[in-house]
Amino acid sequence: MSIFSKNSTPNNGEDKIADEQLDGYAQSSSTEEEIIAATSSYEQVSRAETVNRPGIAKPSIISEGFIFEGTITSDGILNIAGTVRGKITAKSVLIDASGHVDGELNSDQLVIKGHLKGEVNCEDLNVGPLAHVDGTISYKYIHIQRGGKVSGKFIKN
Amino acid sequence: MAEVNQQGCLFVGEGVVLKGNFEVPDIASISGVVEGELTAKQIIIEATGVVNGKLSGESIDIRGEANEFVSSTRSLIIRSTGKVTGSIHYSEIEIEKGGHLHGDLNNLNPHS
Repeated sequence: MSIFSKNSTPNNGEDKIADEQLDGYAQSSSTEEEIIAATSSYEQVSRAETVNRPGIAKPSIISEGFIFEGTITSDGILNIAGTVRGKITAKSVLIDASGHVDGELNSDQLVIKGHLKGEVNCEDLNVGPLAHVDGTISYKYIHIQRGGKVSGKFIKN
Repeated sequence: MAEVNQQGCLFVGEGVVLKGNFEVPDIASISGVVEGELTAKQIIIEATGVVNGKLSGESIDIRGEANEFVSSTRSLIIRSTGKVTGSIHYSEIEIEKGGHLHGDLNNLNPHS
């Protein structure tokens, strides 16, 4: 383009405009790329931080809309926003407001914000104000926030 | 609150042991021991208080001990020093961290 586009050519004006537009487009796309690159590097940094921090592991997540049937075993943290039917064993379990668990649950720390039905064995139990809990619960320390609906057998160890 | 109007209230002091059935129109504050049935609008079991028997009321606040049966039509609060065993019926419950709960828990209106 640069060789042929001289100021003397009659249709030069249009060419120049087209050229400018192209340039502008190219510029905008390059900035987008930069932004993407920046965000991805930021993610990498934040992920690296979580990995490097001792004692805080990344949680395993059952997302909303996800239905799991079977046995889950984990040494770490488990966040449940979906549905789990079966047996769960983990160090720390969080049942989110949208989460449903039906079955057997064993954990050190258990926070229930959603629905839980079944047999529970835990050390530290925290039931949120919108939670529904039904079953046999054996625990060491319990905290039920006002409004939490709980029924069944409670056994303190 | 209780000192202002003691009409219809029952106070059981520390060291007092009461046996029988009690109908209290307003507040029952228990620091001693009650054995039997206790019905009141509002029941407060203080840290030294113990109730062995049937406990029913609108609002029940437990800092001490309640054994056998507890039924609350409005709110049941088990404080951190509280200990409840037996059959429990409630419409709204709160248990502070450290509270002791051992028994069957039933929601009076489970579909609300």
